[in-house]
Amino acid sequence: MRESKGKIVATGGIMGLLAAILVKFGNPVNMGVCVACFFRDIAGGLGLHRAQVVQYLRPEIPGFILGSFTIAKAKGEFKPRGGSSPILRFILGFFLMIGALVFLGCPLRMILRLANGDLNALTGLAGYVIGIWIGIQFLKRGFTLGRSTTQPSATGYAMPIFSIGILLLLIAAPTFIYFSESGPGSMAAPVLLSLGAGLLIGVLLQRTRLCTAGGFRDAILIKDFHFLWGLIGIFAFALLGNVIFNFESFKIGFTDQPIAHTDHIWNLLGMALAGVTAVMLGGCPLRQTILAGEGDGDAAITIMGLIFGAAFAHNFGLAASAQGVGQNGKIAVIIGFIIVLSIGFSIVANVQKQSLGKNSKEKGGLQIG
Amino acid sequence: MKNFYCVVTFHSTYHALNFEKVMLENGILTKLMPVPRQVSTSCGTAAEIPCEERQRISKICIDYSVEIAEIHKIEDNKKSNWFINLMNKV
Repeated sequence: MRESKGKIVATGGIMGLLAAILVKFGNPVNMGVCVACFFRDIAGGLGLHRAQVVQYLRPEIPGFILGSFTIAKAKGEFKPRGGSSPILRFILGFFLMIGALVFLGCPLRMILRLANGDLNALTGLAGYVIGIWIGIQFLKRGFTLGRSTTQPSATGYAMPIFSIGILLLLIAAPTFIYFSESGPGSMAAPVLLSLGAGLLIGVLLQRTRLCTAGGFRDAILIKDFHFLWGLIGIFAFALLGNVIFNFESFKIGFTDQPIAHTDHIWNLLGMALAGVTAVMLGGCPLRQTILAGEGDGDAAITIMGLIFGAAFAHNFGLAASAQGVGQNGKIAVIIGFIIVLSIGFSIVANVQKQSLGKNSKEKGGLQIG
Repeated sequence: MKNFYCVVTFHSTYHALNFEKVMLENGILTKLMPVPRQVSTSCGTAAEIPCEERQRISKICIDYSVEIAEIHKIEDNKKSNWFINLMNKV
């Protein structure tokens, strides 16, 4: 990669530090920024699920979207687009969330957990890399969700306006919005700080395109370590930030880690499911959020899948808890693998059939000629 | 003096891998990399190619039905500040 390593490490570094600072000012431990958890909290705040401990309209998420939207607009990069297998993206987003909530965190929180000594995140990381490797095998065989096309402006504005709506509901706090009184949902940094951090991260990520799935995918597939350096930046500076700001919660080990469980096999499988789906979708939940801000309707529908998945996860008891993963969660992960791999095989089969058809046509042409 | 380099962009990762393979078979060395930021806001895969081989590469792509999106010539500029420079040294 021709671009400097410094810029991407610095971006990751700022994110890592902001995550530590958000914990210092009230966000749950190891959850300074967690895209899956925050969408789950938003789903709860909107009453789509009724798990009373995880309901809050997290301002970081609208921050990511509006930060990305603003900078994309300013730089002329806001492009309403979409139409690339929306229903498959919705389903993949759904199971990405199931995998993440069985592990208890999106890939970003996995890095942040690791940076605070939670070794269960190592198991998660192993799973995530395995999942990405599986996803790559599909890419190598032609997997694609298809090209997106230019869409009416309204498509591009959908998520930025959704974000403003979430912020207005947060400020107005009408009675139909749920706010946790205990548990992780009740722990939050001040709104302006969370929103500000979200906006800054949104701007930085729109500029640098940092993505947790992209980092590992490029390292494995094309031996390019540009984005992986960004992830190392997140880890290093979150570690530094935690030691400076949150030293009382810093603890190396597997047991008694905040909002985590030690069900190793399911930590691994949950993150593996997140890895496969993230590669198929072309980006982790964080990256989807940024893309949604710059007008990508496919990312927007993926986010709807994430929110829908989060609501299901808590309504049907699929999400894990500090006690571990329940029966329903395990079954959901297995169903997730079956469905996601079926989607993969079916698309690869389609692509190969099409290219065979094309080749035989050409051969036919040659014979006639 | 300005530095330039050339990249090919693709509609899918599979096309990029296929392109690299076909170019290698034709003795052209390419390097897969993330799409340069100047070209796109996406984080897909592009291939760096020798600029002087652009014509030949386009022809090979047609002959072998290798799907590519676009070929770009990019100025190699690096904006920087003290924090980025510090991180570059890590």
